[in-house]
Amino acid sequence: MIPVSLEINGKTTDAQADPRTHLADFLRNQQYLTGTHIGCEHGVCGACTVLLDGVPARSCITFAVACDGAQITTIEGLRDDPIMADLREAFAANHALQCGYCTPGMLISCRDILMRLPDADEARIRRELSGNLCRCTGYVGIVTAVKSVQQKRKATGASAIVMCKTLGPVGARPSREGGRAPAVRRGSEAAPSAPPLDQTAPVSAQQWRTVEAEGVELRQSFQVPFARDVVWNYFEHLDRVVRCMPGARLLGSPVGNRAEGEVNVKLGPFVSAFKGIAEIERDPSRHAGVVRAMGRDAKSGSNARAIISYRLQSQGEAATQVDVSVKFLLAGSLAQFGRLGLIKDVADHLTRVFANNLKAALSGTLGGNDSDKPLTAGSLAWLALRGRIRAVLAKLRPRANPITRSDRFDSR
Amino acid sequence: MKPSRFDFVRPASLNEAARLLGEAGGVAKAIAGSQSLGPMLNLRIAQPELLVDLTSISELTAVTEHRDHVEIGACVTHADIEDGRIPDPSLGLLSFVAGGIAYRAVRNRGTLGGSLAHADPAADWISAIPLLGAELLTQSSRGARVIAAERSMVSSFVTTLEADELIRAIRIPKMSPRSRWGFCKFNQKVGEFAHAVGGILYDPDNRRFRAVLGAIETAPIIVADATTLFAGPFGPDLDKRLDVNAVLALLDAKAVTDEYTRQLAPVALKRAAKQASAS
Repeated sequence: MIPVSLEINGKTTDAQADPRTHLADFLRNQQYLTGTHIGCEHGVCGACTVLLDGVPARSCITFAVACDGAQITTIEGLRDDPIMADLREAFAANHALQCGYCTPGMLISCRDILMRLPDADEARIRRELSGNLCRCTGYVGIVTAVKSVQQKRKATGASAIVMCKTLGPVGARPSREGGRAPAVRRGSEAAPSAPPLDQTAPVSAQQWRTVEAEGVELRQSFQVPFARDVVWNYFEHLDRVVRCMPGARLLGSPVGNRAEGEVNVKLGPFVSAFKGIAEIERDPSRHAGVVRAMGRDAKSGSNARAIISYRLQSQGEAATQVDVSVKFLLAGSLAQFGRLGLIKDVADHLTRVFANNLKAALSGTLGGNDSDKPLTAGSLAWLALRGRIRAVLAKLRPRANPITRSDRFDSR
Repeated sequence: MKPSRFDFVRPASLNEAARLLGEAGGVAKAIAGSQSLGPMLNLRIAQPELLVDLTSISELTAVTEHRDHVEIGACVTHADIEDGRIPDPSLGLLSFVAGGIAYRAVRNRGTLGGSLAHADPAADWISAIPLLGAELLTQSSRGARVIAAERSMVSSFVTTLEADELIRAIRIPKMSPRSRWGFCKFNQKVGEFAHAVGGILYDPDNRRFRAVLGAIETAPIIVADATTLFAGPFGPDLDKRLDVNAVLALLDAKAVTDEYTRQLAPVALKRAAKQASAS
């Protein structure tokens, strides 16, 4: 808990806040100011909008501890505000609310529009209201209400009201600690993390069919200067192949066609550790194989299932083309983030690094046990740089051999 | 939907912040306005053990104007820029971009430096700032560094910043008065993350003709010499001269395969070119 001192609706309030408590929860649960509503809790719907230092801010993605010393005004604190009084009346007259859930945030945003943009036309009003979602009234009544107050204010000669402020995020204040070394304040204890995946549970055929049908597919092809049999034999050793996957390692020796393992990924704010199982199938007649893997990241509670298929095609006596296809499905919070393209970008990088490492391993140049380290920004930076060097080299070379995409990430 | 447990510290200086991040060894995250990291914490996609709050560091809101550039502190907000509370080196481009970021309530807290360090590929500044030929002035325990903005982002959420390295300020060159710009953020709902970004900057006195293709689900593509995309120098009706195949070749080189993105990217750039060359 951290001591915080806030001015809430004109009253100085001293309280204790857990670092992870956002301002909306703090206001509702600790100050009993339940006029501030919570909708999406990730800054999209606008129901939680309050005034921070006099201007609108999202209380669901602002932590209470980051507002130490700030001035907070909730809908309760605007009872006697003249613009809000006009707005309340106009909302009622124009049927600008039905269920009322969005209304506190909506009113605060409308008040901001009236003060900041007294001449806003309807298009501008609608644009400014884009950050407040209403699912009942369809906005027509809300826009009409804003316009009616706007006209009333114009008739009385009101002009824009500029809230004087210093630069930087609203609510931010100088540190309490002044010049002293700042103290790290402990947060409350962590809740127990989600249970790991049951390693012994069989994976149903239906689960894999779903991955086949709905999974995101990534493909990589690359050539290695070895005969197909050499490559095929290498692929027999799961531990060696796994070592080529950045951040991946086996947990114990494979039993039959089944192995336990984990994959660690650290990218910017994301840190995940997927633990799980893999089942391996090999078809010597086609020089092809399939690895079906599923794992769970206990921290984020996300599940991943992937089908990794590879096929080796002979390209003469001392060259083999490796075609790798990855199909994967994510469930849980990572998937709920709803930004599939990002996950694909990351998976794309993983596949590329894997292809590079595999090539290096086959050539006997893969140094040490790289895969023990999680995939990090550094390794991606290097990969990108290598890609760029390669692209420059490619430009300088005659175009006798067309450059394929996979070649661009060649490590040689 | 609540974040998992973390500790919190609010240093008063950049050196203290860098030291704290360095000592935490990768389990800490720097946080400013919390408008990007906040949602990720709430969704538990990000679960750092320590947050180092930068918003008490006065140095980070300093803005200084120089003869040929403006230095904007990393914690200056989108709304600060939108409202013209700082000197503008860009003939309105910065303010235009700022006004299109998310919603006013978000812009009142979201910061320029935070957005660049977070490196969400669909964000606005990661495209606009490199287009302007800006540089990031950073600080870590090992000292200061200057990074060209176009070389700072590597891929989604990945930058060349070290774990204990913080953006102190963004140095933006002043555009000459005859300069032109165009910037198109394509989205279906006002304020959402971009589906595509196209940008053009033409500064004849400084011999710059640059372009950017952004929101391509990885780091944006910066074209330092845009004549290659328009079969010649900047001029009227620039949009009509866009070589779509040249754009697609750039996307190929970045392994951008998504059909929707490949459709939108040339359109966004075309609209930016139209805006830049309109008389």
